[in-house]
Amino acid sequence: MSKQIKLKIITPEKTIFEEMVDSVSIPTTEGEITILPHHIPLVSAVASGDIVARIGADVVPMAVSGGFLEAKPLTDGSGTELAILADFAERVGDISEDVIVKAKARAEELKAMKDKGEVIDFEQFAAELERSLTRVRIADKWRGKKYRL
Amino acid sequence: MAAGKELKRRIKSIKNTKKITKAMELVSASKMKRAIAATLASRAYAGYSWEVLQSLAEYVSETKNPFLTVKPVERILVVLVTSNRSLCGGYNAQITRKAVAFIRENEGKTVDFISIGSKGESNLRRLGQNIIASFNDMSATPKLSDVYPVASFILDTFKKGEYDRVCIAYTDFVSALTQVPRISTILPVNKEQIISDIAEMRTVETPVGKIDYVFEPNYETLMASIVEKIARMRVYQMILESTASEHSARMMAMKNASDAAGEMIEDLTLAFNKARQAGITQEISEISAGMASVS
Repeated sequence: MSKQIKLKIITPEKTIFEEMVDSVSIPTTEGEITILPHHIPLVSAVASGDIVARIGADVVPMAVSGGFLEAKPLTDGSGTELAILADFAERVGDISEDVIVKAKARAEELKAMKDKGEVIDFEQFAAELERSLTRVRIADKWRGKKYRL
Repeated sequence: MAAGKELKRRIKSIKNTKKITKAMELVSASKMKRAIAATLASRAYAGYSWEVLQSLAEYVSETKNPFLTVKPVERILVVLVTSNRSLCGGYNAQITRKAVAFIRENEGKTVDFISIGSKGESNLRRLGQNIIASFNDMSATPKLSDVYPVASFILDTFKKGEYDRVCIAYTDFVSALTQVPRISTILPVNKEQIISDIAEMRTVETPVGKIDYVFEPNYETLMASIVEKIARMRVYQMILESTASEHSARMMAMKNASDAAGEMIEDLTLAFNKARQAGITQEISEISAGMASVS
């Protein structure tokens, strides 16, 4: 078996993904990067967008918004361990239609609030808006495409 | 049979109490299950983020980041996590006692409080402590977004330099039977503490030495955002631990109450039956005595 990456995607609320994969594309604040086995040890900040994990011919897309990643060699030297600590992450397959509708509504509501200047806690508000928008954007992007759940 | 009637009434009232405590026990048990699941799920994140922070801490030399600078401690901010409701055994009392002991340990320094949960707030008011903020609307199953306001408040006050140290007094969930009140420092973050905390958590294997990381975009920016995230995460984690502890403490308290009610019912039923038996025996002897006198 060829070298693989031990990928873990963890949010504060739960572990989203934990599997051996061949490659992972991640949106970082510096642009999109793809991590392959034996990547140099790296710590970077994750932006919002989609993480795409590839396992053989399968692709697993996930929506992500904020966080950081750490890549380091596995202790036995057989590959790379990649931990993505995301503020928010969700598998695209788990984003159902009504969640998208709700997220859209929420995003619009939040935007309206922003326009009216009713925002008290800006930081939290911005994070929530970003989250709702990312969800919608990523779900739209992957609609009609083939992917593994 | 006045005594019998009295006993019957007491048995009935205790049976009703038992029904309530039993119901509360079941409710707490299910809430506890959910709280424990949330706690365990977030422990994975907490464990990993600490590990990352430890690798990063290896690089800390001269940093201007306020979250990493250890200053002489003059003013301390304590976040006290308690419940909104009572009937949970010694849960609130224990953590408050711990906080009081903490105040004594730090005599001469200013200790201010943020209270989460109304029980802690009223306890602190009674003790005459200075509460700078209180958050009483924490839900039974807190989400990360519920913790945001608290965490941002803490980070802001610390960043402004109003306090030199921020501690959090919470109840660590060990198991359904044991919960330990604990006070731990969340800010500033220092290297020794990270290492000892990781050893304490023991959820992740000990990392291997220093790895030469590449930092993108750069170390300072990254560190600042990571430290902030991790501090926020720790607040969340500790509130979850406390919630899990609260529910299990309540479940145990209610279980004890139900058991005590059961015992009491048994005793009273025995007393009731004895009284009834005695009454019947007396009646029979009266009747037979009457019969004997007639014939």
